[in-house]
Parts: sequence; structure tokens; C-alpha cells
Amino acid sequence: MSHSTPQAIGAVRAPLPNPALVREPLIRAEGVNKHFGVAHVLRDVTTRFFQSEVAVIIGASGSGKSTFLRTLNRLEAHDSGRIVVDGIELNDAVTNLDAIRREVGMVFQQFNLFPHLTVLDNVTLAPRRVRGVRREEADAAAMELLTRVGLEDHAHKHPFALSGGQQQRVAIARSLAMSPRVLLFDEPTSALDPEMIGEVLDVMKDLARSGMTMIVVTHEMSFAREVGDRIVFFDHGRILQEAPPDQFFEGQQNERIRAFLGQIVH
Amino acid sequence: MTSLVLAAWPDSWSREQRCSATMIAAGVVLVLFMWLLATPLAAMPEPVGPAAQQFAEGSRVTVELTLVSGLLGVLFGVLAAVGKLARFAPLRWAASFYIWAIRGTPLLVQMLFVFLALPMIAPGLALSDFNSAALALAFNVGAYNAEAIRAGILAVPKGQTEASRSLGLSPFQTFRDVVFPQSFKIALPPLVNNIVALLKDSSLAYVIGVVELSNVGNRVQAATFQPVPVFVATASIYLILTTVLTQISGAIEARLDVEQRQH
Ligand SMILES: Nc1ncnc2c1ncn2[C@@H]1O[C@H](COP(=O)(O)OP(=O)(O)OP(=O)(O)O)[C@@H](O)[C@H]1O
Ligand SMILES: [Mg+2]
Repeated sequence: MSHSTPQAIGAVRAPLPNPALVREPLIRAEGVNKHFGVAHVLRDVTTRFFQSEVAVIIGASGSGKSTFLRTLNRLEAHDSGRIVVDGIELNDAVTNLDAIRREVGMVFQQFNLFPHLTVLDNVTLAPRRVRGVRREEADAAAMELLTRVGLEDHAHKHPFALSGGQQQRVAIARSLAMSPRVLLFDEPTSALDPEMIGEVLDVMKDLARSGMTMIVVTHEMSFAREVGDRIVFFDHGRILQEAPPDQFFEGQQNERIRAFLGQIVH
Repeated sequence: MTSLVLAAWPDSWSREQRCSATMIAAGVVLVLFMWLLATPLAAMPEPVGPAAQQFAEGSRVTVELTLVSGLLGVLFGVLAAVGKLARFAPLRWAASFYIWAIRGTPLLVQMLFVFLALPMIAPGLALSDFNSAALALAFNVGAYNAEAIRAGILAVPKGQTEASRSLGLSPFQTFRDVVFPQSFKIALPPLVNNIVALLKDSSLAYVIGVVELSNVGNRVQAATFQPVPVFVATASIYLILTTVLTQISGAIEARLDVEQRQH
């Protein structure tokens, strides 16, 4: 396994839920339901995410993966159930919302970089505005992050001048600039040309190794196997199964999941 | 039209430099034009020559009227656009009412209303003829600007707001730092059209006694009975002003166009 932190290794070895070993989870979702009109998109979703854990969410298109991820930083509000992030319950209280959003970073399929700002300003905007960091300090910190994702030479370009893979790496650096406790990834490589997927996955692997808590929706099964501590399989808005990768991929008994894996693994 | 001046600068200059140079040059041209207008006009034959000072003064008033009401009008436009998109229903109603009322009534009536009727309703609001005209023009162009800015705001992809909010920026910070700059770029071409229209519409200030360019033209014509040269001169000055205006805005547009779609 690629992890160096004890928690991560523990999480890999422990067959899930093992109350004796489990510490207080970073995120708890309990009986979460969500409707879009008449469509019941999330059905009684219950799970937990722990510090330094890499959870990989997979499932068919339309099974509710993105919606679930988006309820975790309240880009979508859930209809019923409870979501508690770092001890703060997600509800309509605005103060909670702002506090949560600072702790939970998000990386999008379409990058969503700010096109009117340079790469450097994309990374420094939030620390400067939200945390009140002075420009010189924010710039220095941003340059460190850009170096970490291999883009220090592109700091003064605008996003349109970068390749998709580079843009996504900037987006990751931008999220990291707020020092979040957990990073959500929604199909971060799905919009990329095949030859650029590797560079983004490498950055994500690096992050996982450093102990970052990550929840990743992806179709990249090699990433799930190599980096994931736990696979969470969504089916029609429900969590059908949660298991460590070796168990999930090797000894899979569930017919539906086998069918899904058969389609996706070549 | 707009690219004419931009293309005139040396090839070695960057796009930013060319745009800035164009803005500065056009600004200088405008100031020089206002300042020196009387000199070439004075050299012109009867009936324009002897009235050169009047023409120059009238042009200055026209430009002032346009600048003051143009800036205020952008502010009104932003407020009304934000109001129309607000979650709080009474704000939406107020903004919609403003836009509906202004766009459904003649500018001439609005101008007379501000100058004559407003002081009756609120005695403290008796404004000078210039201020009345500027306010009426600002309200008028603001309603049209609102539509342009609203369309610009709606054209910014939802993912921009989501990215900004998930970084922890507040709704206001998201609007100011992320959505508004992008929407303003989208809204700029229609805004410029509105301001060119405003420059021409400012001639209506004539009815409440503001001595702007059209008023001067009419006065000189009435005194000399030579409408042809007088109105050719008047129209030429308007043409020069609208041309300078489009050059400045073309440069601003290109400056904001970081993706270099046009150059
Ligand atoms: N804003 C929305 N309004 C209405 N329906 C929505 C909305 N967002 C998602 N849905 C619906 O909810 C269901 C779950 O969507 P979701 O995007 O969470 O699926 P997903 O698992 O992420 O799929 P994919 O792999 O295609 O990204 C889908 O049927 C989708 O059509
Ligand atoms: Mg999705």
C-alpha cells in the first residue's frame, strides 16, 4: 500500500465497521435522503469517513454519487437524515455553512477555474478573502502549492493557456490553499484526454500519501485499487456495498457489482 | 471599427499594451477635443465660426451629461440587475417595476417628470436643469443596462459560483470577485451601445433648458437662419464624440478579453 500514515494503514487493514478500532469519524452521514422533484436520488445513505482515509465512490451513471458528494459541503441540501462534518451539523445555519466550506475542499470534473484570474490569483483568492492572508504571504504559499503540483512556471498564465491536466492540477492546488481537512473529488479525470489522466492521478496519489482525507468519485479502477482504503458502491441512490479494495475487486459476490465491474474493467 | 486603432500600434507591443495605449490615446483625444474645439470651429465660415465658443461649451455640457449619467446609469443597472436576481421577493418586484416603468415610458416624459413633477412631490428635490437631465438619463439608461448586466450574470456558468462557494467565499465575495467581473465582460458590448445611445439621447435635455450641443445648434440656427451648415456642424461633433466613445470601449473590451478571442 502507498500510505505512510498509521491511520491509513489501519483503515486498510480493519474490516469496516469495527467499533473497537474506529475513532471519531470526520464525516458522518446518517439516513440521508434527497429528492429532485419526484426522483428519489439518495435513499437512506449512511456511512462515515475517517481522518486520512481515502474513500472511493463508484457506481453507475445516475446512481447519486455526485449528489451525495455535493451534500457533504452542502452544494445540495439533503431532505432528511443527518450529516455531521468535523462535529458541525450541516443544516440551514449560515455560520455552520461557512465554517464547513472552509474545511471541505472540492475538485470538479470541469475544473471550474476562474478564467479572469491568473493561476496564482486563482490559488490565492480564497485565502486572501476568507482567511484575510496578506497578498505576499498568500503568493508565497500558493507558489509552494503550485510547485507541489508541478506548475510553478505557469503561475502568471491564465487558465485558458493551460492543458486540461494542468488546469485540474491548479484546481487541486486552489483547494489545498484553504488547508481543508477533507477533499472531495467528483470525477476529476473524466473530462481529460487520456494522456493527461496520469499526471492528475499522480498528484492525487501524492496527496493520499501525505495523509490527506479524500473522498473520490471516479471510474479509474486502478486508482481505486492502488490508493483506496475503502470502496463505496452506489446503486440507485443507495450504498449497496462498502469494502476494502482487495475484497471488493477480488472476491466480489454481488451479481450487480460484478456486472458493473465487468463493464468497466477491461 | 474598433480594431482599427488597436492594429495601428507597433507589432512588438502586447495586447495589454495596445489596449492601454488605445484607451489613453482616446482619452487624450477626448480631452484635447473638448479643450481645443473652439479653435478649429472659429476658423470656420459663417455662421459656425462666430458661434465657436457656444458650440464648444455645448459639446462640453453634452459630454459631461453623458459621463455623469453614464456612470450613474451603470450603477443603477447593476443594482437593478442584482435586484431582479435576488432571492428576496420584494427586491425582485422593485427592480422589475423600475425596469418596466422606465422602458414603457418616453425619455422625454421622464425628463419633464424629474424637472417639473418631482419638486411638486418632494419640495426638497428641486434640481437644476442639468442635474434633472442627468438623473433622468441615468434612470433611463440604467433600466436598459440592467437587462444587459442581468443577461451577463446569467451567462456565467453555475460551476463558477459553486467553486467559489466551496472555497468558503461568501455570496457577496463570490459576486464581487468571481461572477461580476466575468458578467461585466459579457455585458460590455451592449453597455457600450447603451452609452452611445445615451450620448445621443442627452440632446433631449434641450427641452428643459440645458444648453447642450443640440440646443446650441438650434439657437445658432434661429439667429442666423442657416440650418444647413449649422446642423452639419452639430451632427459632425456628435459623430466625432460617438466614434471616440466606441474606440475607448473597444479597447476596454479587448483588454478584458484575456482569452484573446478577438486579437
Ligand atoms: N439538479 C438536478 N435536478 C434534477 N435532477 C438531478 C439534478 N442533479 C442530478 N439529478 C438527477 O439525480 C440523479 C443522480 O444524479 P448524480 O449526478 O448524483 O448521479 P451520478 O452518480 O453522479 O452520475 P454520473 O456518473 O453520470 O455523474 C440522476 O438521475 C440525475 O438525473
Ligand atoms: Mg456525477
